Amino acid sequence: MKRPEQTVRPSVNSGTRASSEPKHERGQRVSRDARERILNRVRAANRDREPVSHPGPLPEAAEPPGPFGEAGRADPVGSFESCLRAAGGEVVRLANEEAARRWLEEFAGGFESASVCTGVPDALHPALPGVPPSEAALGVSLAVGAAAQTGSLLLSSKEGRRSQLLPPVHLVWVRAEDVRTTLGEALQACREDLPATLALHSGPSKSADIGQILVTGVHGPGRIIAAILGAGGVRS
Amino acid sequence: MEVHSRDYRARARRIITETPEVREAVNNATRTFVDHRREAFADCDENALSGWAEGVKSHALTHLADYLEEAEARLVERGAHVHWAETASDVHQIFEGIVREHGVRRVVKAKSMLSEELGLNPFLESCGAEVFETDLGEYIIQLLGESPSHIVGPAIHKSLDDTRVIFHERLGTPRDASPETLAKAARGLLREAFLTAELGVSGGNFLVAETGSIALIENEGNIRLSTSVPRIHVALVGIEKVLPKWADLSTFLQVTAKSATGQPVGCFVSIIQGPGGSTGGEPDGPEELHVVLVDNGRTRVLADPEVWEALRCVRCGACLNICPVYRQTGGHAYGYVYSGPIGAVLGPGLVGLEEMLPLPFASSACGACAEVCPVRIPIPDLLHVWRQRAVERGLTSDVERSVLGLLTAAATRSRVFGWAGKMAGFFPEWIVRRLPLLQEWSIGRETPRADGPTFRELWDEGIE
Repeated sequence: MKRPEQTVRPSVNSGTRASSEPKHERGQRVSRDARERILNRVRAANRDREPVSHPGPLPEAAEPPGPFGEAGRADPVGSFESCLRAAGGEVVRLANEEAARRWLEEFAGGFESASVCTGVPDALHPALPGVPPSEAALGVSLAVGAAAQTGSLLLSSKEGRRSQLLPPVHLVWVRAEDVRTTLGEALQACREDLPATLALHSGPSKSADIGQILVTGVHGPGRIIAAILGAGGVRS
Repeated sequence: MEVHSRDYRARARRIITETPEVREAVNNATRTFVDHRREAFADCDENALSGWAEGVKSHALTHLADYLEEAEARLVERGAHVHWAETASDVHQIFEGIVREHGVRRVVKAKSMLSEELGLNPFLESCGAEVFETDLGEYIIQLLGESPSHIVGPAIHKSLDDTRVIFHERLGTPRDASPETLAKAARGLLREAFLTAELGVSGGNFLVAETGSIALIENEGNIRLSTSVPRIHVALVGIEKVLPKWADLSTFLQVTAKSATGQPVGCFVSIIQGPGGSTGGEPDGPEELHVVLVDNGRTRVLADPEVWEALRCVRCGACLNICPVYRQTGGHAYGYVYSGPIGAVLGPGLVGLEEMLPLPFASSACGACAEVCPVRIPIPDLLHVWRQRAVERGLTSDVERSVLGLLTAAATRSRVFGWAGKMAGFFPEWIVRRLPLLQEWSIGRETPRADGPTFRELWDEGIE
């Protein structure tokens, strides 16, 4: 910013540049030189500085919100439900596969079409015409985990992302045993097999950018429903 | 991006006198942020969290070269292209290569303050690409031809009616449209852009060295879409964004969201390890991932024995929200991409003190910013460092130096000081109002009048 802009003007002088190497290769060469210079400057900057040691894992007592405590540990599904609901999400508990199928049949009745991620078991597909994600009324996916602490569903890009993002309503299946207490535990469970993108969905898409007034469904799904399998009994 | 910080005084005055609605909008927004932040930390041991976060960030910065190399190695293993850029023009060159090679005509952008710092939009447009800011706030100010006025809420200086007017003109929505109608109109237009753009550009909140992960926090879903739908994704990441371990990420995601908007975590978080699509062996997602590691002045700040701690910043904006000076004008007065207290500390380091004056002086030194900082950056101390350097380098005004010189001369001579204090009481108000330094101070304030005996006279008489 401070230095005079030596901006490479496209089109204007690109034909007259002396170098004959392809642009992307020249770009990489520039980048390689820059790499060495940046790393050298970073090392020089830290040479006379006392290294600070890593404080180690966050003590459990400091986990937000407050000491997570017995209540959170005893009932992660309940804590997850409260947290996701507080952010505007919906939660339904389904005791077994039979209950899940019955609920899905009724729920799917409200939609005309669906786009289902590849990770969802056949038994959990809604009986709706399958359409591309950009046209679907409902997207269905299967979470690889969940965190009670933040009300987050963990979604893998391995099952495809468009069905998680483009339809206005997003139904996410999650197994009760995959609901972890803290976000750290949920992320740790995914650590060994990370997809290209691991995403957390912790509520409907929202924005307050227009005059500080909250609106939902801005770009991503405006409704998110977590259907918890094997959680027994709908909590009132 | 051009820097206009030297005009701070004039810009601030203009905003306050000519557009009082800006102050109102900024006050409403920042007070809401502050309230939400307070609630979010109510049940937390905030001290333990900020102490831990400070430790992790300082550790990462004092071992930065090793962690950058580690992150690069992990990303390359996953098939990402890693670029290094010393300056904005390096970044432009990298983008030029990508745009030309892939024939990019449309770009969708997730909110990135670094891209503002690098002047990316005008450059991409000069390459012939059409650029869509997709964060709703960024989109509003892009339509208006403005720059973001806040790190987290780029359009907080705009009212509902401002948005109604510009959307009416540009998108044809009704003049009295509801926020829902306005958002829907933007969604429709930008959805088309997401589906047709070849390139998605994002920033990066964190770069986890251990796994080579770029983490991005948001609420709208536009970052997920920008990094998932187009064929190419380029992430701009400042070299200071490193976190050492995967296990560090969960707490930083939470602390940043709580501090920024008071949420437990953003509605959407993307944690990106590599390209998707056929490159990554996945059903969809970008075929190419480019990660640009950007210096642009950061190594200079790191080399600074006093100011380097400012690089711990996670860009939550809490120091802006709490700042009584920021609240008067919003971010545009600062004339720099990073406004408020953290901008006044980072700017002189990244760009140069001379270009950034008088920003380190645009503070009442109340210390509120240091109290809310989730990584304990001692902002008031660092402002003080820049002020001292400005004086040492002779960058403050001649008048100010002579007046302060006189004051020092008087204050270190007891009898002169006593006499001067007594004389001050005899100056009529109109003279006081015209004195250098007091002139600006006395605008909008009652000039205090010396009344009766001075403290020293009372002291000599013996105070009861």
